[in-house]
Amino acid sequence: MKTRKLLAILPVFLFLLTALFSFKKNTPTTAYKCLIQMKNYSGEGAYVVISLLNEKGAYEETLFVQGTDDEWYFDIREWWDFYGKKRSDIDAITGATISGGARAINSIAIPNDALNKGYKIRFETAVEDQTYYKDDVEFELTSENMSAKIEGKGFIRYIRMMPQ
Amino acid sequence: MTISIWRYSHLTLAISSALFITIAALTGIILAFEPISNKLKPYAPEALNTIYIAETIGVLQAKYKEIVTIEVDENEFVSASVITKKGESKTFYINPKTGENIGSTIEKLGVFKFATTLHRSLFLKSTGRIVIGFISFLLFLIASTGLLLIAKSQGGIRKIFSKIVKENFHQYYHIILGRLFLIPIVIITLTGVYLSFGKFLLPNENTNNIQELTHTKRANIANITDFEFFKTKKLKDIQKIEFPFSKDQEDYFFVKTIQNKYQIHQFNGQIVRQTKRGFAHLVAYYSLVLHTGKGAIVWAFALLMSCFALLYFIFSGFSMLLKRMKIKTKILNNTTKDEAEIIVLVGSETGSTFPFAQAFEKALSMANKKVFVATLNEYSTYEKAKNLVVFTATYGAGEAPSNASKFLKLLERIPQKNELKYTVVGFGSKKYPGFCTFAVLVHASLQIQQKYTPEMPLFKIDNQKINSFKNWVNEWSTLHDLNLKIDEKNVLEKNKEASFNVANRTKINIDSTFLISLKPDTKMQFTSGDLLAITPNGDNNSRLYSIAKIDNKILLSVKKHEFGGCSSYLNALRKNDCLPGRVQQNENFHFPKKVKDVLLIANGTGIAPFLGMIQENNAVNIHLFWGGRTIESFAIYREYIVAALKNKTLTSFHAAYSKDQKKYVQDLLEDQTALIVSTLKEEGVVLICGSLKMQFAAEKILHKIALKEVNINIEELKEKKQIRTDCY
Repeated sequence: MKTRKLLAILPVFLFLLTALFSFKKNTPTTAYKCLIQMKNYSGEGAYVVISLLNEKGAYEETLFVQGTDDEWYFDIREWWDFYGKKRSDIDAITGATISGGARAINSIAIPNDALNKGYKIRFETAVEDQTYYKDDVEFELTSENMSAKIEGKGFIRYIRMMPQ
Repeated sequence: MTISIWRYSHLTLAISSALFITIAALTGIILAFEPISNKLKPYAPEALNTIYIAETIGVLQAKYKEIVTIEVDENEFVSASVITKKGESKTFYINPKTGENIGSTIEKLGVFKFATTLHRSLFLKSTGRIVIGFISFLLFLIASTGLLLIAKSQGGIRKIFSKIVKENFHQYYHIILGRLFLIPIVIITLTGVYLSFGKFLLPNENTNNIQELTHTKRANIANITDFEFFKTKKLKDIQKIEFPFSKDQEDYFFVKTIQNKYQIHQFNGQIVRQTKRGFAHLVAYYSLVLHTGKGAIVWAFALLMSCFALLYFIFSGFSMLLKRMKIKTKILNNTTKDEAEIIVLVGSETGSTFPFAQAFEKALSMANKKVFVATLNEYSTYEKAKNLVVFTATYGAGEAPSNASKFLKLLERIPQKNELKYTVVGFGSKKYPGFCTFAVLVHASLQIQQKYTPEMPLFKIDNQKINSFKNWVNEWSTLHDLNLKIDEKNVLEKNKEASFNVANRTKINIDSTFLISLKPDTKMQFTSGDLLAITPNGDNNSRLYSIAKIDNKILLSVKKHEFGGCSSYLNALRKNDCLPGRVQQNENFHFPKKVKDVLLIANGTGIAPFLGMIQENNAVNIHLFWGGRTIESFAIYREYIVAALKNKTLTSFHAAYSKDQKKYVQDLLEDQTALIVSTLKEEGVVLICGSLKMQFAAEKILHKIALKEVNINIEELKEKKQIRTDCY
């Protein structure tokens, strides 16, 4: 009899568990297309990390990582301080490094409630044997910026965002 | 020792870069497997020359929300980067006909990443790249000087591909492989240089090559799959298509082919701009493909083999160098050129003629003669000299060795006060067509000089044979009423004496013959048919024995002669006794390769080398003919022959006993005419070992049979090496 009861409770328990997780995941997000156009620099492909910063300027979430080889991640120093400790799963949001003169287009998901709240989007870049740019591109997460073209300071020529 | 400038450069360059080349070759071996393993992956299900771009775009559009790029790599694998209907960015290989995801893009394996970094920059980043690029250039120079050296020693650039004389194993294969891998190595080195330095030199794409094309400004919206460009270009011809970022009409399609870059209007499909990709880009592209072997298995395999060849070049090169360094070439004179009575001049490319000159000089000094030794290029005036002796080798097809290159000119220019008698000794190998040609030239040039008179005809020494050298020394000393003793050990420096242990021996039989088995104390290379030189204590003359190699031991068959110093010395040896000896290669009498039938003919102790050959045989039909005195003479060999017949390593055995049967080896041959005829017709080989008397008798029969049945004479057979002899 006892086991039976337990079995009856199990679905409820499972439901609660899923609900809990789905709730967390279900923060509504909007997908944006993001184009990164690199300058004509020479050398290896660049690692580019796109992150969401909160109103205090602290890392909130990793949005995309260009570069799959995690042994170089520590080169992207600021972000590494945030990411390196937790090592959250970013497999779904990684792509290849981008070579000089090339471009990359990705789809990134940005939480709706971060829009127009003083949050920022940061593009960090690093190239093997060369420099690291902590804020190659950095802009405020406003509705206006989300369909704009923004010039970069380092390896990035410009980035463009567009709601999907 | 002077060596030619090219050899010197070849060597210096090789020494200075050997370590790096070894690293590059080892990592190269690993890296060659990358293109091979990639190419073997199943990501090319369709032939790309049958598929138009529009077809692939069509199937992808139906499957995914948005296409970002389509790429075609060297393996003809098509990959697409898309945004899925769920809104995720994904990149994977596709089947270009169905748009299906057939696998995630190949990630470089850790071992390849490691090898790549080591190969191109030694983990030293930009500095390492420069070093490797420079080494690559040095390797190119090594290959070029190597080519010149082959050309020189073969006697001209056109003879590079003619047959190479095999004098020494490593040298032979160094040249053979050098010719074979010259082109791949030149390609590897030049592309390597470009890949290392190219990124520092590569100019940006030339703006002159941009062609703006007129197009209708008005957006005339057409379906992408209907674009003329996409409908007419095949997937095989492109490298990459980037799709427009937005619907903005300033956003274009970017298409890259190997030759061109195109911008295509996203609404009407017209080509807006066409950029010809510069020469530098093409060089960079082909350098990469050629250097890495991407996409081409056969070439990647050739690159792999080249890496192995490079390792062998380094190994064999250094082994040749060490061998040469062992030969002493330093000249120590105890008198000056103007004090000396006898002048010895040496011409040598490799330094191997010097030991002869030194041995001669030593012998003369012992006889209280004042001798001066110098190179031919140091030719000068000699105040008190009465005799001039020239020892010279020949380089290539008749050229002067490098330390004799100026001699003929000096001879014309420098007049001698006194009359001199001269002798020329030529050193070389009969295998070369230009055997002793330079020595002949020196002899002739001296002859036309008024102050010089020849005292002996030109004497040629083949293959540094010590005995012919001794013969010459004897002739020369008789002429001068001297008794010169040549110390062989000085001459045969490169073939040092080794020490052997008596592993076993038989009792002496009724023919005063016995078998003795010797185990070398150190590891050494020898083959049945080689010779063992044994010099009994207190004797200057060595005796040569033909050897059988059995279980890495040397087996000799020795007949004790009543007054034979050497055979008595050997006979006195007991098991575990120690003796010195020197193995001499005797390539002419090695067991032939790649033949089906071999006839072995021997009498008496001449059977020895054949015992070894038979024991090592695995696939050849061997017929052994042997002549002995009595049936009892055979006893000491019986166990070997019986075992060989049982193992089928010996096909047939024919014996004749001169005393018991009044029958000789040549009679056996006559009996087996059919076997001899078939062997000769099938390009089989006949080896003869034993007494000279037996050799003549056997050759007479063979000649008769060959002439009658195969229409070839014995001289031709010997020339073709179908008949080989080692008789005494």
